[in-house]
Order: sequence, then structure tokens, then C-alpha cells
Amino acid sequence: MPAATHAAVSSKKRKSAKDGSSSSKRRAVAADSNEDATMSKITELEIQISESRKHYNNIATLLSMLDVGENAQNPNLPVAVSLCRVFSRLIAAGNLTESSRADDNEKLIVAWLKERFQEYQKALVTIMREGDASAQVTALTLSMRLVGEQVTHIPSADSYVWSSGLFMNVFEAVIEAPEGQALQAEFIEKFVKVYEDVRFHTFTRISEYASTKRTTQTLETLITILSANDTIPTPSHEFSTFYTKTSASNKKLTSVNSHKKRAQDAWLAVLSNNLSQSQRKSLLRMMVHHIEPWFTRPELLMDFLTDSYDIGGATSLLALSGLFYLIREKNLDYPQFYTKLYSLLDADLLHSKHRSRFFRLMNTFLNSSHLPVSLVASFIKRLARLALNAPPPAIVAIIPWMYNLFKNHPTTTFMMHRANHDAEFKAELDAEGMDDPFDPDEPDPTRTDAIESSVWEIVTLQTHYHPNVAAIARIISEQFTKQAYNLEDFLDYTYQGMLQGELGTEDRPFKRVPVVEYHIPKRIFTDRGLEEDGGIDTAPGSLMRNLWDFT
Amino acid sequence: MPPSQLKQLKASLRDSGVLGPQQSKKQKKQNVKSGASAQNRNQREAALQAIRDRFNPFEVKATTKNVKFDYTSRDGGANASKTTARPGVTKSLGEERRRATLLREMDRRNKVGGILDRRFGENDPTMTPEERAAERFARESQKKARKESMFNLEDEDEGEFTLTHKGQSLTLDNEPQDDFEGFDDNDMGSQDGLSDSETARKRKRVFVEGEPVVDGAEGEELPERKKSKHEVMKEVIAKSKFHKAERQQIKEDDADLREELDKGLPDLFEMLRGVKPPPKPEPPKDDFSSMNPERAAVLEGISQQNHEKEYDQRLKQLTFDKRSQPTDRTKTAEEKIAEEAERLKKLEEDRVRRMRGEQPSESEDEEDEQSEDEEEDSDEESIPDDAKAFGLQQPTNETHTRPDMGVEDEDDFIIDDDLVETRSNASLEIGDSDIEGFEEESEEESEEEEEEDELINGLTFPDGRSGEASAPADSAQANEKLAYTYPCPEDHESFLHTIKDVPVIDLPTVVQRIRALHHPRLHSDNKRKLGRFAEVLVQHVSYMAEQHEHPPFAILENILRHIHSLAKSHPENVNMAFRARLRKLATERPLNLSPSDLVILTGIAAIFPTSDHFHAIVTPAHLCIARYLGQGAINSLSDFATGAYAASVFLQYQAISKRYMPEFINYVLNALYNLSPQEPKKPLGFFPIRKPEQSVALTTKSKKATPRKLRFWDVTGPESGKEEELKLSLLTTFLTLLSTASDLWTGQSAYTEIFEPAQAVLNHLRKSTTSSAPAIQVSLQSTLDKISSHLSSSRLSRRPLLLHNHKPLAIKTAIPKFEENFNPDKHYDPDRERAEASRLRAEYKRERKGAMRELRKDANFVAREQLREKKEKDAEYEKKYKRLVAEVQNEEGRAANEYEREKRARQGKS
Repeated sequence: MPAATHAAVSSKKRKSAKDGSSSSKRRAVAADSNEDATMSKITELEIQISESRKHYNNIATLLSMLDVGENAQNPNLPVAVSLCRVFSRLIAAGNLTESSRADDNEKLIVAWLKERFQEYQKALVTIMREGDASAQVTALTLSMRLVGEQVTHIPSADSYVWSSGLFMNVFEAVIEAPEGQALQAEFIEKFVKVYEDVRFHTFTRISEYASTKRTTQTLETLITILSANDTIPTPSHEFSTFYTKTSASNKKLTSVNSHKKRAQDAWLAVLSNNLSQSQRKSLLRMMVHHIEPWFTRPELLMDFLTDSYDIGGATSLLALSGLFYLIREKNLDYPQFYTKLYSLLDADLLHSKHRSRFFRLMNTFLNSSHLPVSLVASFIKRLARLALNAPPPAIVAIIPWMYNLFKNHPTTTFMMHRANHDAEFKAELDAEGMDDPFDPDEPDPTRTDAIESSVWEIVTLQTHYHPNVAAIARIISEQFTKQAYNLEDFLDYTYQGMLQGELGTEDRPFKRVPVVEYHIPKRIFTDRGLEEDGGIDTAPGSLMRNLWDFT
Repeated sequence: MPPSQLKQLKASLRDSGVLGPQQSKKQKKQNVKSGASAQNRNQREAALQAIRDRFNPFEVKATTKNVKFDYTSRDGGANASKTTARPGVTKSLGEERRRATLLREMDRRNKVGGILDRRFGENDPTMTPEERAAERFARESQKKARKESMFNLEDEDEGEFTLTHKGQSLTLDNEPQDDFEGFDDNDMGSQDGLSDSETARKRKRVFVEGEPVVDGAEGEELPERKKSKHEVMKEVIAKSKFHKAERQQIKEDDADLREELDKGLPDLFEMLRGVKPPPKPEPPKDDFSSMNPERAAVLEGISQQNHEKEYDQRLKQLTFDKRSQPTDRTKTAEEKIAEEAERLKKLEEDRVRRMRGEQPSESEDEEDEQSEDEEEDSDEESIPDDAKAFGLQQPTNETHTRPDMGVEDEDDFIIDDDLVETRSNASLEIGDSDIEGFEEESEEESEEEEEEDELINGLTFPDGRSGEASAPADSAQANEKLAYTYPCPEDHESFLHTIKDVPVIDLPTVVQRIRALHHPRLHSDNKRKLGRFAEVLVQHVSYMAEQHEHPPFAILENILRHIHSLAKSHPENVNMAFRARLRKLATERPLNLSPSDLVILTGIAAIFPTSDHFHAIVTPAHLCIARYLGQGAINSLSDFATGAYAASVFLQYQAISKRYMPEFINYVLNALYNLSPQEPKKPLGFFPIRKPEQSVALTTKSKKATPRKLRFWDVTGPESGKEEELKLSLLTTFLTLLSTASDLWTGQSAYTEIFEPAQAVLNHLRKSTTSSAPAIQVSLQSTLDKISSHLSSSRLSRRPLLLHNHKPLAIKTAIPKFEENFNPDKHYDPDRERAEASRLRAEYKRERKGAMRELRKDANFVAREQLREKKEKDAEYEKKYKRLVAEVQNEEGRAANEYEREKRARQGKS
């Protein structure tokens, strides 16, 4: 039977090919001379198809015109468009559905049409993968239209189309297209963000797609698509914008929970994939606002977050906020949390750009008045140490924060003021001086003996070269009359900002004219007139002249 | 039940003794005789009046104020007497007073005259008697002066009153020698001051004639024998002759003295002009030359006209000659030195004050303004910004100012190789002799003005400084080719155009000439022009440092010193230019400093006081350096050289104030870390480690190389093949910087914390370089030793902090403040001024009310009196009228009677 069918099809095809080819030959000549002729021919073919079944062979003609095999880069788009129309009409008319009562001939035709349809789909996907930007976008639009038609008019095709049919192919093409930025943007903007059912299925696709290890590049695309969905449905959200009409009746698609579940699965699949360091950082950065709200069970994020937290450096800083979310919302018990937090206070912390973010969190963590004093003191002392090597914007943030801690934990004020009443100890002190009791190498913040120490570092910072920083450092040796400093006001400074604050953006007259050195030095670079001074250079600037050779 | 009124009256009459037992006639008579009856009568009257008053309830009035119970007020019963008033009595008292004053005035109105005292200030209570007298004297002398007009025909003395004091005239026109003469007269025992002044003599004579005897000498003679009139006259004549002779003598003496003074006048003139005249040959002895010009003129017969002309000329000369004003005397050398030392001391004190961050007092109000401005700013935000209190402020428009450097992350650093010049150090050789030309200019720099002049000398004072004009021949030759006039450039382009053909060596000469030609004293616009020129020079310095053929530093130095000198006269312009330059640095290449930036930063160290707590230029410069050290590129040896230079500039900035810079220590340690041949196994401290893209660590090749002094142009990269040498040199430089910093911060409380990592790094370095770089071992070891000794001394001096030895703050009290002797009538306003004002207001109100009441009563009184007068007048008139009518009627009646009688008689007759 298949042979017969084949014969019939082939005969028909031949037949149609005959008159198709004859006409196409004619037209081809014209097409060379005139594009309009091609257009009109396409239109004619299209109309013919819609007029009568006889002309179904035109589909094959059009497909051959499309001919993606050779020129996928620059496909004949009008043909694709007209084919889309043709198939849409056919689907709408039910010509692509096999009814059980239909005779063999009908079935034959349907099978043949399905084959052509498959061919067309393949062609579109190929265009998406290989074509140039505009072709890709057009192909995407056409494909999505076909998806819509299929789902609407073929009752059984719903799950098939979304999960393994055309949509899957389209999705994979979008993800894997080598030059696909425009395509992805189109996909996100026109479909995923607009239609909730498309989004739903996209999530499903992603979770399946990311279940196997993928390249960094692909993951980047996936993250882009996922993070584009930044509006999280509220529990009472009514889903109304669907791409296909049938979706409205689908229970899964109208439930918030199932949406969230899909999203959660998708995110989890991505997070457990082999992420690069920068991707991990960027994911952590949007964790609290874009990822966690999707999760019905945020504890699933725990592994990812704790892993990130253990990596150290900037990643740990970023993981902290996500972790904090879990601790607060889900009552996550993180053993040795403060020890871990303390270990984050390393040499690079104050030079990191996540500094202010970290400070906000650390401020929250240390806000509790129930913390042991020794722990608070360790944090203070450690940050004081770090401040000795920190840039001014960091110092500016640290000291008010310290002030607040001193104010909240009065026992720690011994670090600023320790009156000594023990005569024996005093004598010893006078004879030998003292070492800092603080042990910087102790990882446990409750055992560092910081409470026995003093914040000499901050006193040194009172002679900081920048007058404002020095002024802030001076608050710890003045009376603590202010209740608390608003930390927010002190974060987010930068060198650039401070410089601009000093210099302004344009010339403004001085309120007070800056003083000029009264003494004009004899020499700046050279040894001019050195003999007069007895050959030894002690004038201002001698350091420079001794160190550098200005010739 | 109280007794009846009548009984009370009787009782009181008996008590006061009005009613008593009847007196016998004998007693009465006796009383009359002794006058006791009159006395008794008076007593009785008084007693009766008192009783009457007591028993007349309408005479007494309770005050309107509600009477308080005794125990409510502190004064108790003392106030009770005040509760009753006697309106009748007060009214009659007032009436009485009015009758005494107002009525009399009324009566006298338009009838009685008086004398007005018009003496000056007589009724002015604000003047003290002394002032009054002084004012009168001034007026009198003014009046007199006015009288001396050309049309005053009357004699001076006639009709003049002169003020006298104890008989002596107080007029000013007495010649000064009068005083002396007066004294002399007294000494000689004469009573008469026969002065030249007519008036005084006259007046005195009057007194002399009036007093019979004044002097003791004559008084002694007097009792012996009465002289005859003739004798007396003779005596007087003899005396007057004697005095006359004496006066003549004195006058001559004076003239001699004056002559002597006049002789010295030409010398005095010369001295006033301040120029020592060449000792003139002694002129031929001429009496006239040494004489008073007046006298000389008279004697010589020169006409009075000529003499006056000469006098006028001299006078004019004196008034227009500025030096004729009294000046401070010329100071001695020691005084000058002391003064200079004082000035420097004051400047140094100012600097120290600025270093401590204290504000000059006069700028306080400005600061208030500023804070007000800030308040205005912050009004817009509802939440006050804590950070603002410390002068921190977020840049308002970050987007357009922040340059896109491609580094958001401060962890990462960009390298922009284009910005780093990699030209070879093609040096431009200048012989010392070439430079000497402009080095010669300065000899003494002690004084500011001289300093300024020194920079532009040679043209402004070409003749005044012949000693310095001996410039070397070659520079003079160079100068010959130069033009002598240059326009003062308005912008850098025109300046570049101007000096297009000028060799770089001659640039200082050109600058000097421009400054001399546009000296502010020469034209009013020159000040502005020079200001612009100063800005151009700042631009030019950085322009020069960017040139391919590196200009000699002597030139740069000279230009910088010119800028410094200009900065003293045009601080605004120079400051603006430097700020603009720093802004450019901060926005365009904050992480890749170019050589010109380094030159500018060095220039700032020379021109501005870098020790100031806050300085509009130095503080941003610090930030620029710190930012470069903290975040700048470290990818090549040239970067490290730039960093080393920036670090040394920073140390120079802080040579005096010794402030701490974390970026400096980070950078130096990081550089040492990167230069060391091996990486340490464990972290060396809390400083962040940044690694260059290609390693700059010492290699085995550096064994042979020897360190040298770093050259400025190393910042553009090492010569090929000499990398190892540069590495070693950098290493030694960083070591020197570290040890200098260690000296600088040795007193810091956290010295240990700062330098323990440094010690660790150095130890590591020593371990790893013993074999690879023996050349640096000595300096390494010495630095290490120094730091170790500082560390141990810092450990010795370390004590627990004692920051809060403040006086404990008082807890805010919420107890109400009780007043000890509270009186509800008193006002307890804590605001003194307000209380005072309200007190005054109340007093004014009270007085006003009282005055109104008095006036009203006065008016009533006047009306009443007028009415009474009118009534009296009317009554009088009535009486007169009646009398006249009666008279007329009388007469009429008599006539009628007569007529009747006549008629009756006629009838009777008939």
C-alpha cells in the first residue's frame, strides 16, 4: 500500500509538477527580469491553492522556491510568508487533520500535506538558525503563527506542539542560533513577555533543555530569557493574555502555582548547570528580586546559595543577600553563620564594588542587640584593621557604622576608653608597653579577644589626608550625643564622587581664595643655587630631588 | 452691740480732750496770758478735724481692688492701710496745688513778662558744665573770627566781650611767649604782666588798679611810708623801662635762635627728600643765606612780592612732595631682620593653624552663609543627610561627569597603553651654562617683593641693579635675538603662536619680558591681563611636559616659579587654572597619570601649602594621587615608576603635617610584593594585592644590574635592555619611600598595624632576593632595621585608648523650676530683654494714663476757674448795673418828688 500511495502521490506530484514546472519556467524567466512578476506569481500560486485542491502541488513549487538548503542566509521571504498563509488556511479548514471516516485518497492527501508541512517547518527552523537577523525574526513570527494555528485548530496537537513539536524546534533554534541576539530579543519581547502561555511553555522548555550540561553561551541566553520575566504573578493573579484561545480553558495554564512551578524548575535547571563565575555573580545579584519570588519552595535554592557562599570573595558577598532572604523568610538554619561572615572580612572586601551592598547586609545582621559582645567587638576591630588600608569611601562608611555598634553595645566602648586602675598592670605597661591583644588569625569571632583591644587604627585615621574622612574619624573620640548615624547616607561614595564634590564641574568663584605658599622655593626640580646653602639640600621638596633625577 | 454713733462721738471727744472738765475763770485767764489758749485752740481744731474725718463715711473710700485676706499675701497687714483712700483729701490737695501753679500762670497770662536765659546750653541737661564752657568758648571765638571781616569798621576791642578766667583772657591770639613772660613776671615779683597783647594788658591793668595791694614786696614797703604820687609814677616808669629793655633782649635772643634754625633748613629739605646731597663746597659766607628769608629779603631789599612768591613756591613744594609727610624712621638692619622674622613667624603660625583645620576668624560669617545655603539645599529633602555634616556630598549629576572608563568594578583595572608614552628617554642636553642665564637672576630671596621683582628684573629696573646685570655672555646673545615686546596672551593658543619661533631655552626670558611689559603699575588693565597670563602659564607647563622633546626641568622650574610669583598677586586666576587642570585630570585619565600631571602635582607641592587641613587645590590633588595609587594601572614598569613618583609627591605633601594615606602604604607594599622574585606562601597582611598582567618580578638577570637614581622620564618606560636595572632602581626607591614614611608616621597610634605587614613584606623580600639581587641588600637591611626599631618603640609606647575623658554630660532635667519667693504680681520672664521691654511698656502706659488724668483735671480746673471769673465779672456787672439803675431811679424819684411838690405847691397856691 505505501508503494501505491507513493505512486499516487508521486504521480500527482509529477502531474502538478508538470504544469507547475511549465508555468514556473515561464515565470522564472520573468522573475529574472522582474521581481514583481515573482511576487504576482507567488500570489497567484497561493490563490490557486486556496481555490482548489488540484493546485496543492503549488505548495511543493513554493517550497522549492523557498529552497532553504542553499540560501538560508538570504531566503525568499515572500514565499515563506505566502506558504504560512497557505498552511494556516489549510489548518483552519481542517485539511491537515485526519478524520477516521475519510477515504484512503483523503488520507493520502493529508499525509502528503503533513509531509509538506513538516518540510516547511524545517525550512523555517533552518532560516531561524542560519538566516540573517530580519529573516530570523520573520521566520520566528511565521513559526509562532503556525504554532498558534495548530494549537487552535488541531485539538489533539496541543501538548504535542508545545512540548515536542514545532515550538520545541523554534525554542531550540532561538537558543542556539549563532547570531541570534535580535531573534532572542524578538522572542522575548513579542512572545514570552506578552503571552503568559508562551511563557509557561518556555519555562517548561528551558527546564528540559537545561537538564543536560550546556555551554556558557547557551546558558547566558537562557538566563537572559528567564530574567526577562521580572513580573512575578501575585497569588490572585488572573491569567488573561494567551497566545492561543485554547489555553484559557487549560487548568494548568490558569493556575499561578503551576506557572511558578515551571519557572522554579527552569531556574533550578539553569542554576544547577555549569555556570561560569561571572554568570554566578550576575545571578546572585538578581537573586532576591528576580529569582526568589518565583520559587514556591525557596529552600531549593539553598544548595546553590551555600555553594556560592563557600566560594569566597565577591561571590560570597553576593550570595549573602540570597542567604539572608532564606534565613529570614524560610527560617533557614545556617550553622556558623557569623563565623562565615567574619571570614568574609578580608583584605579585598573594602576595595570591592559590592562593598556598600555588603555593608547594608552586615548592618542588618549585627543590628541585633542579643549578639555576644565579643563577637561585635571582633567585627569592629577587624574592620578597623581593614580601614587602615581602605580607600576613603570605605572609611567613610565604616566609622559611622562602628559608632552605631558602640552605641548599641555599650560594653564595646571599652575599646575606646579603658581606664586602668590596676597599679601592677600599669607598672608593667610603663616598662614594656603592650601588644595588641587582638588575634587577627583567629577565625572564630567570639575568640579573638578583640574586646580587650583598642581601636588605635581609627585614631590614626583621624590624621587621614582627606579632611572630611579625618572629621568623621574624630566622632569616636567625641561625646556620643547622637543616637545613631543613618548608614545609608555614608555608603555609595566613590573617589570620583568625592573628587567632583571637591572640584565641582565648572569654574565657580571661590568663597574664600585659597592660600598660596608665602615662600617661593629656590628650587623645585634642579639643584639651583645649592652651593649657597652649603651643598646640602634641606629646603622643602628635598625629598623629591633626592629620590628623582630631573634631567 | 456697738454703742450708738452719738455715744461714740462723745467718747472720742472726751478722749481727745476736747470735752473736759470745766476750767475755772482763773485758769482761763492764766491760759490766755501764757498763750496756751491759742495753742489749745489749735490742738482742739486738729482733734476735731480728725474726729470729723473719722466719723464722715463719705470722706473715706475703699480702693477698687478687691481686698485680699491677709494670709494670701506675704505682706500681710502691711498692705491693709493701703486699702482705704481719701478722695476728698487728695482732691483738695490737687486743687491746692493747681491753685498755686496753674492759677497763677493763668492769671499772669498775657500780663506779666519775664527774663529768658539765652545763654548757650543753659537749660540743656545733657551737657556737663565743662562741655558747656568749652562750647561757649568756641562760639565766642567763632564770633570774633567772623567779626574780622574787611567791612568791620569797629575796633577789635570795642564792644567785645571776652571770656576770662580769674581775670585772665582766654583768647587764643596771645602769643605763646606770653605764658613764659607771665611766669617770669611773677618770679620777678612784678604784679603786672606787661604783655604785648593789648587786650590782656588792659584787662590786667584794670585789675591792678582795682586791687590796692597784690604783691608781697610792695606790701612790705607799704606800712613803712606812704609814697608820694610822684615817686610812685617814677617807679612805675623805671620799671616799665626795665621791662622794655628786657623784652627787647628776649626778642633778639629769639631771632638768633630762629636764624640758627633757618640755617639748617636746606639740610632738612634734603633729608626729607631722602637723598643725601653730595657735600657741597662751603658757599661764600653770606649772612643772608643763614638768615630768616624774611629778614634776609628785607635786608637785601628784595621786594615783598618776590619774597611771598618764593614762600608760596616752597609751601607748594612741601604740600605736593609726598615724602614731606612724616614717615617711620629708617630701620636698622637688626630691626629689619627682627621684623622679617616676626612676619615669617606669623605666616608660620597661620600655616600651623590651617594645618590643624582651624578657621580664620573673619570667615566665620561666610561659613554661616554657607551652612544656610546648605540648609536651603536640604530643605528640599525631608530627611537630613548625616553625611553632609562632614562635608561629604554625593555628586548631583553623575551621569554626565563620570567618564566611561570601562571599569565599573574597582577590582579590575584597565590598561590603556595609548596613554602611556613609550618613547625612549631621548634626553635633551642642556649645558649648565645655558641655564645659568636665568639662574643668575635671583640673589636675595628673603623678601617677597624683591622676589617678585627678581623674576621680572632686568627690565623693570634696568639701572637699579647694575650688579646683577652681568648675565653670562651666551644667554645675552640668545636674548639679543629675541624681541623686546610681546603681547600678553589671552589664551594658550595665542601664547603658543607667540613663542612659536622662540627656542625653549629662552622661554623664561619671554615670560619675564611679558611680565615686565604688563606690569600692573603701567596700566589699569594689566592686572587682568596678567591674571589671564598666569592661567596660560599653568596650561603651558603641562603642555610642555607633554612634548616629545622633553624640555629641561630648569625651564619648567622657572615657569613654575613665575606662576608662584603670579599666584601671589593673582591668586584667583592661578587657583582656577589649577583646579581646571585637576578636574581635567580627574575626569579624563584618573587611572593613568601622564608626565604633565606629575609635573602639575609637583608644582602644587611647591606653590600651595600642602599641610593645610583643607585647601581647595591641595585636597583634590591628594585625592587624585590617592585614587591613582589605589586604583591606577599597574601593568608595566612605567606604571610602577609613575606610581613611585606619585607616592614620593604624596610624601612631600605630607612632609610637615604627617597625615596618613592608606593608598600609599598599599601601593608601596603591593609594588614590593610584585617586584619580589617569589610569591610568598601565605598572605602578608591586610593590604589588597593586585597583580600586573605581565610579571615585573626580578629575574635572575638582575644579578648583574645595579640600582641607580630614578629619572623622571622613567615614567615613560625603561630603555630597552635596561628593564632589570629599572626594576632594581624602583625597588630601592620604594624602600626609601617606605623608610621615609616610617619616619613620618612613627608617632601614629596604629604604627604597629601599619608597618607589621611592611616588615613581613621586607622579610620575604630579603629571603627571596639574597641570591638574585645582592645590590639592594644593604638598603633593604637598613630599612628593615629602621622599621623594626620603630616597631619596638611603638610597642613600648602603646597604651589602651583613653578617648572619652570628657566631662560627663548632664542628664536633661524634667523637674519644673520653682521660684523661691514667688510673687504673682511679678513677671518671671526668663528672657531678660523681653522682660525689660514689657516693664518699660507697662511703665509708659501707667505714666500716660496718669498724665492724661492730670491734664483732664487741669482742664476741668481751668474751666472752673474761668467760669468762676466770669461769674464774678457778671456779678460785678450786675451790681454796677443795679447801682446805676438805683441811682437813676433815685434821681428820677427826686425829680418826680420835686415835680410833685411843685405841682402840689402850685395847686396849693392856686
